[in-house]
Amino acid sequence: MGGYIVRRLLMAVPVLFGTTFIIYLAVYALPGDPIQSLAGPNQVVSPSVAQAMRERYHLDEPLLIRYGLYLRGLLGGDLGVSFSGRPVSEIIAASWPVTFQLGLTAWLFTAVIGVPLGALAGVRRGRAADLLVLAGTTFLMGVPFFVVAYVAQIVLGVNLGWLPVSGTEAGWPLAYVLPGLVLALYGLPQVTRLTRTSVLDNLGADHVDTAIAKGLPRRTVVLRHVVRNSLVPVVSLLGVSLGYLLSGTVLIEGIFNLPGLGYQIFVAVPQHDGPVVVGVGTLLVIVFLLVNLMVDLLYGILDPRIRLD
Amino acid sequence: MSDQSPRNRGRSRAAAAAVAGALAITLAACSGGSGGAGGGAAPAGEKAYSVGVTTYFLSHFLPGKVTGSNVDYALFTPLTRVDAATGKAVNAVAESIESDDNKVWTIKIKQGWTFHNGEPVTAQSFADSWNATAYGPNAYTNNYMFANFKGYADLNPADGKPEAKTLSGVEVTDPDTLKVTLDKPLALLPYVLAQSAFAPVPKAALTDADAFDRKPVGNGPYQMEGEGVVTGATKVSLKRFAKYAGTPGDAERIEVKSYQDEGAAYRDLQAGNVDVTLVTGNNLTSASTQFKDRLVQAPFPALMYLGFPLWDERFADIRVRQAFSYAVDRQTIVKSLLRGFGQPATGLAGATVPGGGTSDCSACAYDPVKAKALLAEAGGWKGPLKLWTYQDPLNTVILEAIGNQLRTNLGIEAVTTQAQPVDQLYPNMAAKKIDGPVLLYMGAGYPHLYALADQLFTKTSASNITGYDDKEFASLLGRAASAGPDEAIGFTQEATGHALGDLPLAPLFWPVGGLAHSAKIGGVRPEFLGGVALASVTVG
Repeated sequence: MGGYIVRRLLMAVPVLFGTTFIIYLAVYALPGDPIQSLAGPNQVVSPSVAQAMRERYHLDEPLLIRYGLYLRGLLGGDLGVSFSGRPVSEIIAASWPVTFQLGLTAWLFTAVIGVPLGALAGVRRGRAADLLVLAGTTFLMGVPFFVVAYVAQIVLGVNLGWLPVSGTEAGWPLAYVLPGLVLALYGLPQVTRLTRTSVLDNLGADHVDTAIAKGLPRRTVVLRHVVRNSLVPVVSLLGVSLGYLLSGTVLIEGIFNLPGLGYQIFVAVPQHDGPVVVGVGTLLVIVFLLVNLMVDLLYGILDPRIRLD
Repeated sequence: MSDQSPRNRGRSRAAAAAVAGALAITLAACSGGSGGAGGGAAPAGEKAYSVGVTTYFLSHFLPGKVTGSNVDYALFTPLTRVDAATGKAVNAVAESIESDDNKVWTIKIKQGWTFHNGEPVTAQSFADSWNATAYGPNAYTNNYMFANFKGYADLNPADGKPEAKTLSGVEVTDPDTLKVTLDKPLALLPYVLAQSAFAPVPKAALTDADAFDRKPVGNGPYQMEGEGVVTGATKVSLKRFAKYAGTPGDAERIEVKSYQDEGAAYRDLQAGNVDVTLVTGNNLTSASTQFKDRLVQAPFPALMYLGFPLWDERFADIRVRQAFSYAVDRQTIVKSLLRGFGQPATGLAGATVPGGGTSDCSACAYDPVKAKALLAEAGGWKGPLKLWTYQDPLNTVILEAIGNQLRTNLGIEAVTTQAQPVDQLYPNMAAKKIDGPVLLYMGAGYPHLYALADQLFTKTSASNITGYDDKEFASLLGRAASAGPDEAIGFTQEATGHALGDLPLAPLFWPVGGLAHSAKIGGVRPEFLGGVALASVTVG
């Protein structure tokens, strides 16, 4: 398995270079002048300051040379400096814990709510509970989640006052419940439906019939022989969705005022703050790759028939 | 699949347990960390309140880079300040500001002012701050404000490194006296000096500007606590400065919370997590019903206007511009779209701006009949019309309304609108690539009608987007600049009236914001540029 891990990590290297290049190109290809957006609306930048800025951030060089300079810094462990003068590494160090907590909270909600709901729907196939779950998940898939975010803020935060509306002051878990729940809704329908399908498959399997024929209580059959075996595909989906959740935080962190990685991108994109967008974006790509690797490893552990070498 | 061997079962359970355990540990570690950083509730009995601002206002605190927010004014006290009641510039740190020709100024500084670190505020503290900002290679964004100081060109050469490091127009003649020389006379220098960009700095700012930018050591009524603005943190704590030489604030502590937009701050105010915040745009409607007498009007020293592209021959005829101006129903826009938070413009600046409040824009009245007649006289309108603005939810709605009024009142069939990001729109205007009237916001750089007139109508001004260039206006404004402070207002008004007669732009309305606050605090009044004046808030 060690060899497999090394191979996978090596495969990640070209992927990383490719993504940094694409993100880099995309940020600087945005129309508009970064220097002007730095000065804000209604403000004047004197020509000498604009010139000094362009030199400092190599904006006067061709794009490829700039990318080369960026890569050189990156290999030396230097992620660059944001347009507002902060080292990108510092920004990342300060904001990743927020995103990490938010992502995990959302992920826990997805798993804890999604799997039992799906299992319930599968076992009660065609009955009221099943139809309710199907209708509910269809509805969730149809509603854009920033709408859910604002409604949740106004109802649960402002009107009822149960949970903090925004910010991280209340700490984990309280501050992360509302944004975590909203973010969880993103992956919830898929997890629920996959669990349901998987449970249905297993319900009709031979070993379940055998177990029932042996006279085991239904409860034992469902929990031990059906649900447990249905989890293998669900685990892989949960793993992949952890990656999506981390990158899906851009909008949620903006709305809930959580100073995480997504929030930094949310702020940096309109300001054309290339160093921040590329740095944070690349980090999210790395996390995604690592999570996928972990999922594949876990897969091998859960289902011994899968060999990883 | 069912027949897992005992060995495998054990393995998968162990794995699951390990994963769960690792999660629990990391989560506990994380929550411990953020709990520690987010703590710091006010001790019982302490007078404290919290204010919500946008993240942008916490981005820089070096005077060369400050954003001109209310937080800046809590941390720094410049030479002068503008009295909110009279609209006059009054001395703060300055003892006297005098000049015979409005070009060479002698500024005396009061004794007894100190920075938060105990260092005395001297004439050199101001000179140091100004020189650093005016020095081009430092790339401080407020650099442009020094363009009229003698020696600015030497610090900002067209190419290459500057030879000089200090402004020749700023001399420290003794520890309490500054001699300032301008390139062109400006009677309103005391108003200019009221901006936080002209605040003094202690020596520490010169050795480590980046550290100062995050944790400033100013001379204002409040000092910044702890590490200052920490990357990733969403609040800073301000403590009352015990040795402040001016009028001290009432609150002992102010929590400044940052939000990525005013809407997020407003929702937190509604939930009771913040005591006061600026409310703008669509939230004003809900704020006026929910907060009633706890919503204080905050007029901005600014103008929303429709600028005409004078380089476009379709707008060369003044009758066309007048027709457009007469065709816009300002009253209705203010009433139905702004919910009363704004005043229909009758001139360049509202009454809260010194020199403003005049009715010298005759074409600002709503007269659709006259509008149609004027357009017909000028030969009518041919082809499509495109209206522009920068991306902003409220702007887009207002521009649509203007488009509809022009369609109805002038009979122009094909009216379209386009909103661009600020950083595209301004360069496009500079390159004369905009082919229609533009809806724009212009805030007075400093509290005087002169500032608005100069920014909008002077040929060399970067914010003169219409390309207006008029000798008569320039000479009148020049006379205002070299007159005494009292005559300056008259000449400025005359110059403004002349420019509005030419109508390079149609003034629309003077925007008004709201300061909504909790019942816990009082004394809420706006700072000149809109936010709540932090030091005048009373608690309890």
